[in-house]
Order: sequence, then C-alpha cells, then structure tokens
Amino acid sequence: MDLPTNYLLLGITALPLMGIITLLIWRKATKKQAGWIGIISESLALAIIILLYPTLKQFGAIHFSMPWIANLQITFRLRLKWLSLTFLVTEVLVTLVAMVYSLGEDTGEKRSNFYYALLLLFSLGMSGTTLSEDVFLFYVFWELMLIASVLLILIWGHGEIRFKVSLKYFIVTHLGSLLVLIGLISLYVNFDTANISELIAQAGTLPMSTQRLLTGFFLIGFSVKMAIFPLHIWLPDAHTVAPMPVTIILAAAMLSMGTYGILQFPVAMFSQEAVQTFTIWMMIAGLISEVYGALMALAEKDVKRIIAYSSVSQMGYILFGIGTLTQQGMEGAILHVVYHAIIKALLFMVVGILIAVTGKRNIEEVGGLGMKYPLFCICAAIGVLGISGMPPLGIFNSEWMIFSGGFGAGTPIVLVVLTLLGSLFTVFYALRFFGGIFFGGKRPEGLPDKAPLALTIPTLAVTVFLLIEGLFPGTLLSWAMQGLASIWGAG
Amino acid sequence: MSRMINLVLPLLILLSGACLVYVIARMFKLSNRNEALLTTVILATALVFQIILSRKTLSLQTNPGAYFGIAESGGILMLPNAKGGFISSIALFIGVLITLYASDYLAGESRYVLFYPLVLLLLAGLMALFLTVNLFTLFLITELITVTASALVAFRQEKAIAIKAGYKYLIMSSLGTMIMLLGVYFVFRATDNLNVFRVMAAPNNLTRIGAACFLLGFSIKAGVFPLHTWVPDVYGYASPSVSALLAGVVSKSMLFVMPPICLRLGMASGELGFILLVLACFNMIVGVVKMLGSRHLGRFLSYSSISQTGYLMFTLGIGFYYNLEQALSAALFLFLSIALMKSQAFLSAGIFERSLGTQDLARLVGVQKVLPLPSYGFSVALAGLAGIPLLAGFTGKWLAFTAAVATGDLFAFMCLAVFMLSTLVSLAGYLPVLVRQFIPGKDNAEKSPGEFGAKNISPGMLAPVIVLSGLVLILGVYPGPWIAWIGQVVEWMAL
Repeated sequence: MDLPTNYLLLGITALPLMGIITLLIWRKATKKQAGWIGIISESLALAIIILLYPTLKQFGAIHFSMPWIANLQITFRLRLKWLSLTFLVTEVLVTLVAMVYSLGEDTGEKRSNFYYALLLLFSLGMSGTTLSEDVFLFYVFWELMLIASVLLILIWGHGEIRFKVSLKYFIVTHLGSLLVLIGLISLYVNFDTANISELIAQAGTLPMSTQRLLTGFFLIGFSVKMAIFPLHIWLPDAHTVAPMPVTIILAAAMLSMGTYGILQFPVAMFSQEAVQTFTIWMMIAGLISEVYGALMALAEKDVKRIIAYSSVSQMGYILFGIGTLTQQGMEGAILHVVYHAIIKALLFMVVGILIAVTGKRNIEEVGGLGMKYPLFCICAAIGVLGISGMPPLGIFNSEWMIFSGGFGAGTPIVLVVLTLLGSLFTVFYALRFFGGIFFGGKRPEGLPDKAPLALTIPTLAVTVFLLIEGLFPGTLLSWAMQGLASIWGAG
Repeated sequence: MSRMINLVLPLLILLSGACLVYVIARMFKLSNRNEALLTTVILATALVFQIILSRKTLSLQTNPGAYFGIAESGGILMLPNAKGGFISSIALFIGVLITLYASDYLAGESRYVLFYPLVLLLLAGLMALFLTVNLFTLFLITELITVTASALVAFRQEKAIAIKAGYKYLIMSSLGTMIMLLGVYFVFRATDNLNVFRVMAAPNNLTRIGAACFLLGFSIKAGVFPLHTWVPDVYGYASPSVSALLAGVVSKSMLFVMPPICLRLGMASGELGFILLVLACFNMIVGVVKMLGSRHLGRFLSYSSISQTGYLMFTLGIGFYYNLEQALSAALFLFLSIALMKSQAFLSAGIFERSLGTQDLARLVGVQKVLPLPSYGFSVALAGLAGIPLLAGFTGKWLAFTAAVATGDLFAFMCLAVFMLSTLVSLAGYLPVLVRQFIPGKDNAEKSPGEFGAKNISPGMLAPVIVLSGLVLILGVYPGPWIAWIGQVVEWMAL
C-alpha cells in the first residue's frame, strides 16, 4: 500500500469533518445549500470507500495512523477491514438517503447549517466507530454518535416531550457506553496497548474468568445500543420523537453499530469458550426481543412507534444469529444488518410520506390510501413484504441463514423453533400496518392529489435498491463472509 | 540561611504585592479596574516566576540541599515541591483570570479595595502550604487561608446570605484548623519536633493521632463527607470569582496537601487510601443526588463540586490504597481539569447572575439567545464536567478509570462502580441545565434581548470564560503535553 491510499482512508472521516466545519462557518446557508454540502461531503466519503475497494481486495485491510497522545500509547489509528466495510457502506448510504430525504422533510429553514452539520457528525461518529483501530478513539467516535443524535432529537424533535425523551435516550445509552468503556479500559490496562489488532491477538490469553466478565460487559453495553429487550426502553420514544430523517439513521444505521461492537470486541477478541458461556443467553434475549418487539408493534396505534418496535424485534434476530456462534448464523446476522437497514429506511420513509400526506399518525385514523397513491402503496408493499421475510426480498436470505445457523448450533431445538414461530408475529404487524394504511374505507378528507415528490423519489430509490439487493445478494454475502472470516479466524 | 531565595520568590511577590496593592489603592484612590489590573500584573509576574521555579524544581531531582529558611529545630523551613509547584501554577493562573473578571464584576462594589489584597494573600497561603515542612507554620498558613477566604466569601456584605455563608465558612474552617492545632500538640508532645521529616523518622501512636487530626482538619476544608455541609452555602452565595477560586482550586488542593503530612506522621498508606475511597463514594453520590434537587445555579454547581471532590478522593485513594503512582498522575490531571471547568462554570454563572439578576435555574431558559458566548462557555464547562469525550473531563475520567482498573481488585471495582453511577446520575443534572439555555422559552423567547432584562457584559468578564473554554477543549483534544508535565511531577515525587 502506498501513502496516498492511507491518506485516502483518513478522508472517510476528514471529508465529513470538513463539511461540518464549512457548515458551522457558513451560518447563512439556506436549507438547500446546507443540504448539498452535507450530501456532497457524504458522497465524497462514499466515493473514497469505492476507490479503496480494490486495495482492500488486494491487501485485506488498509491502515492509517497518526500520533496522538503518545504518553498514553493512544494513536489516531484507522483500519478499513472487511468487517468494517459492510457496516461502513450501510451507514454512509443510510445517511445519504436521510440527507436527501431531509430536503423534502419539514425541518425548518432556520439553523439548517447546524442540522446538516449534526447529520454529518452523526455519520462521522458511525464511520469512525467502524474504522477505529484504537480503543480510545473508538470510544470517542462512539460517544460522538450519541451526542450528535441526542442534539438532533433535542432540537428538531417533535413536541415538548423531546427534552425528556432525549435525556432518557442519553442516560440509558450512556449506561451501555460506560460498560463498554470499562471493557475497553480493562483491555487497554491489561496489555498496555490501545491498538485493537494487538488486543485481538492477545486478549485470548487473559484468564477465562476475566474474559467472561469482559464479554458480559461488552454484550450488555452493546445490547443497549441494539435496543435488545429489556434494554430497549430508550428506543420507542427516541424513534418516535426524532424527525424522520434522524429516525431513519437511528433505526437503520445506528442500531447496527451495537452489532459491529459485539462482533469486533467479544466475538473477535475472546476465546470461543468465553463467548459460548453467553450464547444461550444471547439467543434467549434475541428470542424475547423478537417476540416482544413484534407484539408491541402489533399493539401500537402510532405508525412511527409500530416501525420503531419492529426494530427491537429485528435486532432480536441479529442477536440470535450471533448467539448461534456458527458461521452461518453470524453471516446471517451481518446480512440482516444490511437488509434491515434498507427495509427500515424504506418503512420509515413510508411513514414519513403518510404523515406528510395525511398529517395523522394514528393507524386507526387513516385508511384506504392504496388506490389514491399507487406508487406509494407499491413501495410500502415491498417494504412490508421485505420485513415479513418474503423471498426474494433480502431479509428472507438473512433469516434463512440465521435459522439454519440456529439448527446447526447444537442449542436446544425448541429455542430455534420458537424463534421461527415468533417470526409469524412480524407478518401480523406488517400486514396490519399495510392494511391499516392502504385498505379500509376511512380515507381522510382533503388529501393532496400526489404524495410530495421530494419524499417519494428517495423512497422509490430505496425500494429499487432493496429489490436489487434481494435478487443479487452475491456481493453482499461475500462481504459478510470475508468480514466474518477476518474475525472468526482469530476466535 | 538561604540557599535558594528563588524558592520563595513567587510567594514574596504575592505577599509584598498584597501590601503594595492595598497601600497604592488607598493612597491613590485607584478605581476597581486599575486595582484589578495591578493585581493581575502581580499575579502574572508571580506565575512566570512560579513556572520558572517549577521547571527548576523538576530539574533538581533529589537535591536535598535546596531549601529556604532555618534548618534548625523550630525554624521556618521551606522545601521545593514539584506537586506544589504544579498546583500553585494552576492556582495563580486561575487567580489571573478571576482578577480580570473581578475588574468588571466588582465595578459597583464600594469595598473593592480589600478584595484584591485578600486574593493575593489567599493565593500566597495556598502556595506556602505546599512549601512548608513545619507543622506549626502549616497551622498558621491554614489560619491565613481560613481568614482570607472567609473575608472573601462574606465580601458581598449587602447580601445577608453572603455574610451568613462567610460565618459558616469561618466557623467550619476554624474548627478544622483547631483540630489541626490539636494535631500539632500531639506531634510535639510525642517527638519534641514539628519538622515533618524528622517526625517521619520516629512515628508513634501519638503522631498517628496527630495524623488523624490533620486528616480531619483538611477534610473539613476540602468539603469531604460528612463535613461538606458548608460547601453549598459558601460557593452558592459567594461572589463568582471567589467561588471559582475556592471551588476550583483552593478547597480541592487541600486533598493534595493532606496525604504527605498524614503519611509522614505515621498513618499507613493503606489506611489513608481506604478512608479516602470509602468517603469518596459518599461524596460522589451525595453530591450528584443533591445536585439533582437544586434550583439555584450556585448551589447546583456547589453540589456538583462535592461530587468532584469525591472523584479526586477516589483517584487519590486508589493511589494510596494500592500504592499506584499512575493514580497520582490521574489525580493531578483530574485536578487540573476540574480547576478549569469548575472555575469556568462559576464565572459563567456569575455572568448569568449579573445579567439576568437571578440564579434561578428556571430563568436560564433561552439564555443562549441573549448571552451567546457565556452560555457556550457554560455548556463547554458542564459537558466537560459530565465527561463528554474531547473535553478535559473525559480525559481525566479516562485516566482515573484506567488507574482503578489497573488495580485488578474487587474493592477498587466496587468504588469504580459508584463512580460510574455518580457519572450517570450527574448527567441527569447537567444535561437539562445545559439544554435549557438553548430552548426558546415560552416566557422569554418572544422578547427581544433588551426586554429580557439582560445587561451588557463587558469583555473583561467574557475573556476568562473564553480562555477557560479553549483550555478545556485543548485538554480534551490534545492532553499529551499536560500529561507529560504531570508525569515529570510524579516522577520527581517518587525520587
């Protein structure tokens, strides 16, 4: 690898940072101008990832490092590896979609520069999290992600309740962060290095009890971010109150950072024996989350909350997949992250259009929109079929792998069967969501003739993307396989 | 007699400066601003000499020949001390900022003439505290600190509550000094000597009682649970520059003066560490819980100060209980970061009070619109205190956590859990206050800044807040050089 390649890697974090600085300086930028700065910065970051892809293929990883706090052995060290790639691309794409969607969303003209700067910061936090090769740096990015999202909810959230909601969101997720922090510091203290690769190489030598304890810390800490039951309490409110583009990033991208954390730290670092202690608990927690999330989605009337609870349910699948600790299950989990991101983005966009068109959020107050907005209806139908696990739409592939991983894990078969049956609830709430909006005769009065174009276009784009990803999962699957191979080999 | 006059040069500058300022101010009827500027110059000069001295001290290594005073029994003896140099430098730096701040804040105050000499005397006392090795001198210096600090607390004589706070401080602090005097008695009775280095050679039960007396005395002054009851009244109602100096530097530095004395008088390092750790847990919890219930800005910051005292005690406790040098570095860094953030918070709070005429937390709604710079500064301070990454507080907490984890002991982990709990609960206190400044309030938002009743804030009050904000950021983003400096100090101490 030559030097420019290394510096290109820095660009993935530096370009959004430059975007943020530009936006903070240019206070008088209109929403459109601010939006474009955000979109261009993020697109450039994506372009760099694409540029780096051949090098990644050739070398398996790309590094960048720069001295930082030398006397604490802390370095500004980034590393693009296969595991990061999947999460990174997902996160950057989701942010881009959310930024485009924001142009059509009513976030107010005032302080648009700050809004887009925060979206970029949010994305920067996530990119940094997936690229960090230093535990200190990892934590800094991890918290940046939280701070940006809290500010976005706080300033642009709906209703007076947003203050309480963002506080709750901050405190609950910070609890998880503190557990992660203790885990990171323990590794750092034990091996006197903050370099994640070195830690991965050595962590298996820790006493088994320590490995188990740290695995527990990491699992609980990251599960808070994944909103696994009962650590999900921050999610429904935060997702509901946040403006739609932020909800999209929260649900489609940020939740999966917890998955990345689990794969990067306990799974990649500690011996299989240590992680195995928790597999049954991960699967049980996954199952409970899956069913609980689905039941709550079934009981909710607010369309945004329905989709929010669906995230709790879907994260259950992912944790279950990792919990199987089989190659297939974990690859399925990684795939599920991507598919869930696309579908969740799509479903929230659908909800956004619904709210924009009808001004209502209660599913009982809307209905019969199918014939009036056929294109909108088709997008929603594909999203709903997607989340229900209908082949060939993405989630079918990942669920298939997760379940087959479960059957091959040697865990109680009843658990896998229950998870499989639990997925039925997903179908129930998805159909209720779709039917409630598009069928039934209670179409509200005075609706506009067309759904807003600024919202429909990105929705349509995501729908098409979902179809393509579902039909041609080859590349994604190979990324997931290589990502897993890079960490599982060490396990 | 003197082999190293440089050692006390900053101290002499402050002491003579105090007299000089008072005399000149009286003779020439200096305005508040001029007197403040004169004081600032004196403090800045002392700071420069202090930094030179600190560097020299660090290069001295273990040279025991360097001292000032009379080495014979009963003589005043001062020894170079790298830790004291570090803390004094911070204190002088904060001192420069608060006098600059007071140059505008005290503009309408009739008794300003006394304020600046008192600040100089207080800082001189603090400096001398670290230099002296004689217990009686130590007692005298603590008295000086007590008297000057009480006078400063009660400075706003038009406010009855400030007078009350001054009395409370005087009584509590004098109690602490009296207990120290008792300690001096025990030590002298046991050893016929008051030089801590000589006592160190032959500690016995009586000197250990003496050590306990000093522990108790300094605990009162530092606001250690359950002797912390004076803290909210004093910091809450004193003038903001005084609160900034007391809460940010003076009280907390007591935690660094006390351990060497207690240890040299025969207290076991493990005992001291254990006491500090247990009490730290109480400080951390009591501080944040009481903070949650506060509606008064000053008291809110005071309670948070109690928890920060707890964080420092925790880190020092880890250092002494487990004999961990790393913890001492962490404690010094934490001290530096807390000194900057706490004084910044108090100074910003003072701007709010001056401008809005109230310390009611509810009135902070929408204050960012009216006072953008102070509210950004205040936010940086609060976010730093809450431990948000890339600010000074996070680096401090990272170092403290690292030290605790490095012990690998269950007791340390339990205390660390309390620390984390305190951090988490404190978020519920800091965040709403921080956010409130940015909410367009129902009552205030529609009004223009003029109608809001906000008075203009002069650059003299703004500058310290801006400087401190910058430092809090630098310490968070690039803490390397500061950690290196502290590393040298700790190395020196270990020699």
